[in-house]
Amino acid sequence: MEQLFKPGADAIFRLVLFIVIFSAAAALAVAAALSGSAFVTGTTIAARQPVPFSHKHHAGELGIDCRYCHTTVETEATAGLPPTYTCMTCHSQIWTGSPMLAPVRDSLARNQPLHWTRLNRLPDYVYFDHAIHIAKGIGCSSCHGQVQEMQLTYAVQSFTMGFCLDCHRAPQNNIRPQDEIFDMAWTPPADQAERGRALLAHYHIRPPAELTDCSICHR
Amino acid sequence: MGAAGRSPTAAGGLTGMPSDIARRPGPVTSRYIAPGTSFERVAQDVAAIAFGHPGWRRWWVSFAAALALVGMLAILLLVLFWQGVGIWGNNIPVTWALDIVGYDWWLGVACGALLTSALLLLLGQEWRSAVNRLAETVALLAACAGAIYPIIHLGRPWFFYWNLPYPNWLLLWPQFRSPLFWDAVDILSFLTVALAFWYVGMLPDLATLRDRAAEQVRAGAGGSLLRARLYGIAALGWRGAAVHWQRWTRAYRILALLGVVVVLALQSGAAVMFAGTVEPGWHDTMQPVTFLAAALFAGVGVVAALVVVMRALFALHALITARHLDILARLLLALGLFNLYCGIVEFFMAGIAGDHYERAAMQRRVSGPHAWAFWVVILCALLPVHLFWIRRLRRAPALLCVIGLLVAIGMWADHFMVIVDTLQHDFLPSSDRPYAVDAWAAATFAGSVGLFFALLLLALRYLPVISILETRHLARIADVPSRRGPPPVAGGPAPLWGVAAEFRSAAAMTAALVALRARGMRRLDAFMPLPVPEVAPAMGLRRAPMAGIAVAGVAFGAVLMFGGATYATVFDYVFDIGGRPRFSWPSFVIPATAFATLTGAVAIALALLVLNRLPRLNHPAFNIPGFGSATQDRFFVVVEARAEGFDAAAAEQALAALADPPLSIARVPR
Repeated sequence: MEQLFKPGADAIFRLVLFIVIFSAAAALAVAAALSGSAFVTGTTIAARQPVPFSHKHHAGELGIDCRYCHTTVETEATAGLPPTYTCMTCHSQIWTGSPMLAPVRDSLARNQPLHWTRLNRLPDYVYFDHAIHIAKGIGCSSCHGQVQEMQLTYAVQSFTMGFCLDCHRAPQNNIRPQDEIFDMAWTPPADQAERGRALLAHYHIRPPAELTDCSICHR
Repeated sequence: MGAAGRSPTAAGGLTGMPSDIARRPGPVTSRYIAPGTSFERVAQDVAAIAFGHPGWRRWWVSFAAALALVGMLAILLLVLFWQGVGIWGNNIPVTWALDIVGYDWWLGVACGALLTSALLLLLGQEWRSAVNRLAETVALLAACAGAIYPIIHLGRPWFFYWNLPYPNWLLLWPQFRSPLFWDAVDILSFLTVALAFWYVGMLPDLATLRDRAAEQVRAGAGGSLLRARLYGIAALGWRGAAVHWQRWTRAYRILALLGVVVVLALQSGAAVMFAGTVEPGWHDTMQPVTFLAAALFAGVGVVAALVVVMRALFALHALITARHLDILARLLLALGLFNLYCGIVEFFMAGIAGDHYERAAMQRRVSGPHAWAFWVVILCALLPVHLFWIRRLRRAPALLCVIGLLVAIGMWADHFMVIVDTLQHDFLPSSDRPYAVDAWAAATFAGSVGLFFALLLLALRYLPVISILETRHLARIADVPSRRGPPPVAGGPAPLWGVAAEFRSAAAMTAALVALRARGMRRLDAFMPLPVPEVAPAMGLRRAPMAGIAVAGVAFGAVLMFGGATYATVFDYVFDIGGRPRFSWPSFVIPATAFATLTGAVAIALALLVLNRLPRLNHPAFNIPGFGSATQDRFFVVVEARAEGFDAAAAEQALAALADPPLSIARVPR
């Protein structure tokens, strides 16, 4: 009997099998990598804003406190965006003619707020409250990164559920004393494990099994 | 084909010749098939369906109708995804309606069909040859048709994969205690095991079709070489070598065993989804048994109906005889009695338990707004099978087909009755709300039927619809007059792969192997159309390590799933779900069992291919003159040239000097 297939057919057949299996595995790996990438989540990408506001200049170089603009961070669920009047407390005196600030003056003249592009977004089914996090020793930079270093502002976290759970399962790793909450350059000290445990008691923080209840965030 | 001194034989022209009982393995032509049916006839008859396609006009009409239903399903699914499952008319309290009815029914049919084929194999029932391929195909395709439901009945079907445990940004695990998770694992495992069982069982038959197609082309009898090559790729280079068969036989039986286990896991899981609630009519330890009984009944009903249709369409009366129909009818009768028993027990228990809600649920089944379902169960499934007490009716094909279909319909109504009657009215009168079958839901089910038939028609069109191999065990080898004088020796160009000899019976081949080994020859191989148990000892083959591999595969899956569920639930993410214990081990057993069958089936299928060095499309064995008949009715022995001290002339002499000499001897080039 003659061969139905040439000797090379086996190599081709096995190559095709390998490519099919490899591509399927590679497609899954690419999808997994892509779903967490900056390309999809938008982290580390500075969005276009009406005014190229620099946190590095205002918070870093001038040393303006976070709460000067984000006034409700200690008392309400949202930290708050400043009204145009807040900008104008200084910019009615300095850089009054700057073309870069034209949208701000325009906003004041028309009595219309500036339309900033939102960077940190949570889904509607997540209940998040800034005030309780500040009150219980979680600092700004733990979620928002080194904002005082950002020439143009970007988000550093995509706020996946995994990110929230990491801290709710082990809050001692990130918890700070009251006076270091607004320290944007804070890094955990060498003895954080020990201090963290003391702070948990100090703030009366509930055990992780309760902090990871579904209803803590999904109400 | 047929280079070396054997005359080509015409299809069907071998019946009535003097038999060759002493030289063939197994019994004389079994009483299950037409007397005198030969190996060649079996292969030609089944190949004729795949190649010649009898009744192509009817096939096209049926296929077009099935495709139209699939098209309707596609459009319907777009609307469903856009609008949501509300279009099915499901609402509180009847949240599970036709979608779960359809799912449970399809999976019941699939499980019943798979269990039938697998159990008959394990019990050594030779009559399974008539139904096993069809039953396995029905199992696989019914599971495909049913598998669309768990996805499309989700609120957000594009997130169906959230039900599987995989690393994710939510750091969440699925709920391992939930029957909904078991279902996802069960259906994946079932599809894998059913696919492996079906395909591994079909490999030798695909090789038979490959060789018949190639013979047709070479004999100038039509057909294209492409067809032979496509079957060749599908057969993965199967050549029926002694070790192939040794491993295959064990692999096939192990897969059958895994099939039985996955069916038990799936049906128990589905039943516990009901029994685990406190709903009246569901909360019953009998539920897994009832589910299994209903599944087997529906599966055998569908298989019986389709076997009759296939037998009539393809004129397979020689291979599927009245005796087969008789057994299927008896099986339906027995399963009908089993289901009747389950139903009576359910009513009896509700009657003596004294629970008002339970009794009310049973009463609603008989006389409630959906009482039609109860009467359909009685009139379609439970009563008609009793006609089969009469022998003459058991052998009436049309009646078997009708009753098989009625049973399938009755079992569908059974799922409807159980689901809707309970949900519509549980404990609170205030939550009673009428439910009526919705056109969209009915159309979705019709679409799934279309999907099933479209796939089934493709399988009937292109694949061996009857297991050629299994039927060979019942048939006889056509007699070839023994040769006078020395067998012809064909030369071959160097370099040599070996010296091959063609035998007319398994006994002659086995004797040759023993004789050659006694002469100190090594590197022997043998090729045959069906497994011959005597070959392994004759060749001194070691036992195939298939059982060990299966155990390792099963253990891997069981430990992985059970350990994963334990790690996730006890350590990684502790949640309080209704005060259940963290280590809820009984609920981890079902997915662990199902997943173990999945990994076991994958391990066995891979081991079969890797150990046999398949796929191997091009092999020196195919250079043997007339080797195509190794998948029909000839047996070959090869002395390979790589053996130490190999001498082609000595090998030829040894072969020619055998007491039952070969039909021909050939030097085979590499």
